[in-house]
Amino acid sequence: MGKPEVKGTVTPLSSMFPPEEVQKAAKLVEEKLSEKRNEMSQLKEFIADNTSLINLVQKLPDELHHDIMVPFGKAAFFPGRLIHTNEFLVLLGESYYADRTAKQTVDILKRRGKSLMSKVDALKAEMQDLKAEASFFDSTASEVAEDLVEIREYEEDNSNQSESQSGPTELESPTLAETDHKMDSKMGASKDDEYARLMSRLEELEKEELAAENGEIDEDEDEDEDEDANATETDGDENELTEAAFHRKKDEGYSSLDHGQRFSESQPTRQLQQSKGKEAMREEISNKYNHQDLTNQFSCTGLTAEPLTKGEMSCGRIIHQDKMLNPSVNASVPSENKPVQTSKSKFDSSKAFTGSIVEHTENLEKKTPGQNTTPSESSGSKPSKPVSRFKMQRK
Amino acid sequence: MSSSSIALRELQRDLENKANDLSKLQKDIAKNHQVRKKYTIQLGENELVLKELDLLKEDANVYKLIGPVLVKQDLAEANANVRKRIEYISAELKRLDGSLQDLEEKQHSKREAILKVQQRIQSHQAGKAKA
Repeated sequence: MGKPEVKGTVTPLSSMFPPEEVQKAAKLVEEKLSEKRNEMSQLKEFIADNTSLINLVQKLPDELHHDIMVPFGKAAFFPGRLIHTNEFLVLLGESYYADRTAKQTVDILKRRGKSLMSKVDALKAEMQDLKAEASFFDSTASEVAEDLVEIREYEEDNSNQSESQSGPTELESPTLAETDHKMDSKMGASKDDEYARLMSRLEELEKEELAAENGEIDEDEDEDEDEDANATETDGDENELTEAAFHRKKDEGYSSLDHGQRFSESQPTRQLQQSKGKEAMREEISNKYNHQDLTNQFSCTGLTAEPLTKGEMSCGRIIHQDKMLNPSVNASVPSENKPVQTSKSKFDSSKAFTGSIVEHTENLEKKTPGQNTTPSESSGSKPSKPVSRFKMQRK
Repeated sequence: MSSSSIALRELQRDLENKANDLSKLQKDIAKNHQVRKKYTIQLGENELVLKELDLLKEDANVYKLIGPVLVKQDLAEANANVRKRIEYISAELKRLDGSLQDLEEKQHSKREAILKVQQRIQSHQAGKAKA
């Protein structure tokens, strides 16, 4: 971890989003919005006509015949009668007509009304989107008018800086159609920066861990590999022995495995780290992993770069990973001294434990194939201390 | 000097031609869009008709408007006709989609060619200015 260089760029917003461009973009959106409004009013007219027609059709069969004034040519009427009041020739569309009764006609008209309503709903959704866009443009326009300045600082290396630098230069020559893209790229750039920062931090931490753990890991790995080899190769007597040991280990490793499972769902590559006996490191790592988790999963949806305190993952984004163990779990784990290779650390800090951990060996086996290779190897080979760990956690 | 200015003029002519081609392409693409819209609307309408026809009883009267004449049609016949029309329209739409893709690709390549010509013009002018 070299000393972070703090370089920064200070760019006035007006240079990135030239005011005229922003105004033009805002006008475009306004035009689209007004178009949609026209369509909407047209559709509403149709719906009104439809309902009045339904009423008329329902009233006509009340009488056997109606006395009316019949239009004749362009400018004349003559008195006449409307007979066969229950028979309607309904236009089905595309110049096809059908004879129907009043009731059937009403049904047809109602179906048409429904389709109109769905069109209206779709239009409304589009208008909502356009309005959001318009408001965004307005806010940027006001910011630009206020001469707000964008300040970017980087603690990272050249790569990030080059990213950020390319951002402003790109923005300098935006065309109307491109202003949107520029704004997106700006947002994307900042997200990417955070992400890159997190990633580099994570890598550093991993390296440190690896270095520290390698000694311990080797021993344990040997044990586990042996067990694995035994489990797969031997039969009969040996099987029993190994299975016993295996189960023991499996039980031990439940918590870790569960972690692992969850972890593998999200961050396979980073799971290699075994955080043993280094709570602090673990916490840090788990925090970082969580960030990574989030950023990776949700493509940097504006998460802050601060290490989330344990249990703070209100970004219930990772909610679907239900069974996360509390940080307390992790705290208890290191004391166990068991090499748990799975990415326990990852899960520890942020997820609330819902208490529904399923402790079935079958589950473990089934789930491991679905995981990454690393976690599967690690989890398969490391059934750590059994339920005891669990119980500790639960309490 | 004169040779370079001649080359410059040629390049500019080339640029104009390409620009014309590009605008033609854009018009074609716009037409394509319009026709596609029409076809899509017709397709929707025909599907509605098919739905309604399915709801009719066997002996219901169906008429078709041909010019100023309402002609009685058989329900089965009407069904078949509408179905055929739907197939025809979908085939047309697919064809239009394909041609739209082609047009867009051509437009893309034209734009790139134009850029290149512009760059050459710029380098020419820069060379002239230096000389």
